[in-house]
Amino acid sequence: MNSTGRGVRFLYACLIAAFLLLMYLPMVTIALASFSRTRYFRFPIPAWSTNWYAEVFESLSIRNFFWTSVIIAVLVGLISTALAFFGALAFARYRWKGRKLFQKIVILPILFPQAVLGLALLLWFTAIGITPSWQTAVFAHIVWIAPITTLIIAIQVYSFDPAWEEAAFDLGATRLQVLREVTLPILTPGLIAGFFSAFLLSWANFPLSMFSSGADQTIPGWISAKVQAGYTPQVPAVGTLTMLAAAVIMGAGYGLVVLQARRRARAEAAG
Amino acid sequence: MAEAAQSLKPPEPAGQPILQLRNVDRIFDSFAAVDRITLDIYEREFFTIVGPSGSGKTTMVRMLVGMDKPTNGDILLRGERINDVPANRRPTCMVFQSLALFPHRTVGQNIEFPLKMRGVDAATRRKRALELLDQLRLPQSYYGKMVTQCSGGERQRVALARALAFDPEILFFDEPLSALDYRLRKLLEKELKDIHRETGKTFVYITHSLEEAMVMSDRIGVMNRGRFVQIGTPREIYGSPHSRFVSEFMGEVNVIEVRGEAGAVVDAAGTRFATPVVAADFDTGTLVVRPEDVRFVGAGESADNRLTGVIYNEYLLGSRVQYQVRVGEGQTFLVEKLRDQMPPGGPGSAVTIGWDARDSMVFPASRLQQ
Repeated sequence: MNSTGRGVRFLYACLIAAFLLLMYLPMVTIALASFSRTRYFRFPIPAWSTNWYAEVFESLSIRNFFWTSVIIAVLVGLISTALAFFGALAFARYRWKGRKLFQKIVILPILFPQAVLGLALLLWFTAIGITPSWQTAVFAHIVWIAPITTLIIAIQVYSFDPAWEEAAFDLGATRLQVLREVTLPILTPGLIAGFFSAFLLSWANFPLSMFSSGADQTIPGWISAKVQAGYTPQVPAVGTLTMLAAAVIMGAGYGLVVLQARRRARAEAAG
Repeated sequence: MAEAAQSLKPPEPAGQPILQLRNVDRIFDSFAAVDRITLDIYEREFFTIVGPSGSGKTTMVRMLVGMDKPTNGDILLRGERINDVPANRRPTCMVFQSLALFPHRTVGQNIEFPLKMRGVDAATRRKRALELLDQLRLPQSYYGKMVTQCSGGERQRVALARALAFDPEILFFDEPLSALDYRLRKLLEKELKDIHRETGKTFVYITHSLEEAMVMSDRIGVMNRGRFVQIGTPREIYGSPHSRFVSEFMGEVNVIEVRGEAGAVVDAAGTRFATPVVAADFDTGTLVVRPEDVRFVGAGESADNRLTGVIYNEYLLGSRVQYQVRVGEGQTFLVEKLRDQMPPGGPGSAVTIGWDARDSMVFPASRLQQ
């Protein structure tokens, strides 16, 4: 039994290794391509270079796209989290007639193909006379991302005991104090997770930006344009940097959660 | 119903009434969860509301603490109507069934919460929290411990300390001990009674366990279907229940279906039972005898009521032993004895069981059906 168990375990490990390899190899390829001196990717790489990175950092237009992407992602993160907080409370915390329907309507946009959603929004912006720009891109992102953020925050809200709020109120807290002292702090991990998910989804989003950002281009938009015409290894260089940025932000989110736990532990040690 | 209300008058006013209910209703759609209740709760008393789930006790306590409003009627605190005063402006507070300790806070921060809301400074808050830890027999080192790291019994004490920090005039409890194991529950019941005496506050306790209510309370109100079916001291509730419902609620009892015939109580087989009062004629009713009031009758001993049967089963309950005795067809009796009283022989032995007339409780079906 032991030997067959070992054999099965070995197969299982192989399967997982293959899965991880297939998932991460393309991303490694992007990084490799960005360090190649030749214009088109060949393997093994004949000559290495970091020139393309230098060019990326010098390029004013790329800097421009970067900041457009950052601003959109930050705004989408903040607004989605705020909307999602109340949306999640509405269906996961309070019982009312029609909350099931409300939940479905809120979640529905996730299921729309993004290109169709982007096109629909573009038609709509044009119809009411709004010129697409990065602001309309923020709006378009929120339509698709806020529902996802709502689901993420709802997970935390479902494990929230309404008696916590009732107890705080019963112990003399005002409605505002209940929100500040009990509801918000207990839901904070969910809010942090929601914000970072929204940020990253917006940061990497291409189809919605393509239709809705008008003349303002984002990083994914620039990558797409460059692949179609005028490819240089600047493209994989930007791609690699984009992934790194995402990784750093995830790391920051994780660090924030750890920091919160530490602060709690320190409060404990102080007592 | 008017007659029933008469008999529900509190037997011994233990001071001034602090909380009064006047014809209080709580109606959901067309269902009255609480049905025209009038009740006085007295200063410094330990009053327990007992009832099965769905009897309306939780709805009632939610109105008393201010988390729900009566549909009709008035709630008075020291004579002032408080129906519309929200929970955070009432001088009362509650220990919740789930305890509702704030999971992101330490023991100390939980206890200090009501003081912080009132704007008390940190040093005073800390001093009071440490005092309460002492009073509730928790080590002072627990001040900085997270509540999520405390055991069930410790959390119970923290919840009580937090409620006491609020310094309420009335302290409500919504079945806070129901999630604990038997031994811990017994211990905390007694501690709670001590705390009641030490603080001199009015306690209103909700539970579905009459046994728990007996241990702690000065007075007990037994609720069923939104109404009080009996209010009295534990002794009265146990000794002279007003209905089959109350008598059965305390625990296992022997129930015989009977009818009243010309002043005699008779079962379907025609056996006559000796009872304390001469009952009026009634079609159907029940005769209830507690297992501990039934004894084994030896040769030459007398008993007002005698039945013969066979011991079918024996259950050890620790200090007591319960015997299941089959009498005639389909009728079984429970007989409960102290351990050291001579067992009459094991399962299979023929026995005579009996009880005194004063231990027969007769409830005609027409009276207080609850």
